[in-house]
Amino acid sequence: MSSDVKPTDVLDVRGEVCPYPDVKTQKKVKAMKSGEVLEVLVDYPLSAERIPRSMEKAGHEILKTEKTGTGEWKILIKIK
Amino acid sequence: MIDTSLMISGLVVGVIFGFVLQRGRFCMNSAFRDIILLKEYSLIKAVSLAIVVQMIGFHLMATVGWIQLNPKPFYWGAMIVGGFIFGIGMVLAAGCASGTTYRVGEGMMGSFVALIGLMIGGLTTSAGALAWLNSDLKSGVFSLITSDDLGVEPGPLIKDGNTSLTLANVLGLDPWIFVVIIAIVILAILMWKRGGEESKVEGTAYERIFKAGWDWWVTGIAVGIVGMIAFLAFKNYGLGISGGWFGFLNALITGDPEKLNWFTFLVIGVVLGASVAAVIAGEFKLRAPNAKRLLQQFVGGLIMGIGAVIGTACNIGHILSGIPQLALSSILGGVFIILGTWTAAYIIFMRG
Repeated sequence: MSSDVKPTDVLDVRGEVCPYPDVKTQKKVKAMKSGEVLEVLVDYPLSAERIPRSMEKAGHEILKTEKTGTGEWKILIKIK
Repeated sequence: MIDTSLMISGLVVGVIFGFVLQRGRFCMNSAFRDIILLKEYSLIKAVSLAIVVQMIGFHLMATVGWIQLNPKPFYWGAMIVGGFIFGIGMVLAAGCASGTTYRVGEGMMGSFVALIGLMIGGLTTSAGALAWLNSDLKSGVFSLITSDDLGVEPGPLIKDGNTSLTLANVLGLDPWIFVVIIAIVILAILMWKRGGEESKVEGTAYERIFKAGWDWWVTGIAVGIVGMIAFLAFKNYGLGISGGWFGFLNALITGDPEKLNWFTFLVIGVVLGASVAAVIAGEFKLRAPNAKRLLQQFVGGLIMGIGAVIGTACNIGHILSGIPQLALSSILGGVFIILGTWTAAYIIFMRG
């Protein structure tokens, strides 16, 4: 998958504390359709590692996890 | 004032502990909550492994005479109520005592606010407006139960004069029997359930240690070793967090340096060590959630402080340092911390 894939939707959970980034991502993903791509912006290190792990476990595809700056990450999730 | 060598040892152990906590993202709120909420088990595995490492380590060090175990007194009512309250508080605060402390070092202002709440809640309960609650839960029907009350021996390896209950002395068995059985059971479960949570991080040793978050087993072993170092350095107990912060605020408002304790220097070290780790990893950032969440975290911290004083210890003092000593107080407190966590997580995140 190329890295310039266009996300269907963006979820910005920067500033949020444990476990809201994960919970909000799960909720958002549930509301999206198969094949759509969600971009999650997060600045909480534990969630930046945990969201890709739990999304893959749930069967979704992680297209990319990228550190975009100091303490900031971008995660691209393709909905199953 | 505690003597200088203890100050320095507290600070040094704290810096190492803070570094490990930040690299391992070690937080018991996440560990317990995510068993039911996110079905994510890497942190509970790290916690379990750290308990095993310390359980073996403490008993080895006590057997050769380097330390004497010092289990906490068995105030059963206070353990149940304090533990449960603490568990609820840490869900609201978005971090346990150690998680909150290391995240202050990462620049998370919500954790900073929770920490202020923790200190206020603690002093309010130990010497302030809620002191009655604390003493009521430790007297009358809730009075201390000692090994003398049960007519059993205080047990080997335990500090002279300490009559607190442990699994070993209550059942009149050698503590090593429990150490070996519990270690085998936990390690067997960890081996059986391995896979799935290990990271796929590749790169040089430097990158794996200083840039990426650690695998749970690295974190578990590291936390366990730090706990052993802490017990060797302080002699009287293993790691603890909340008592250090209570001493910090107490010294600030009374101007009495006698209120500072070994743990105060430890927790200051934790913040410093976590900061260093976060800066090296490129993860240090001053950040804050919205106003509502800040208020929630403050209230959570307050509740944690109240629970930690009533329960005589936070998650670290009980689960990380007390359970490895087989202390019944810490086992009971730990169980109710977990039940409090699950209750709050269910109500806040899982209903409907």
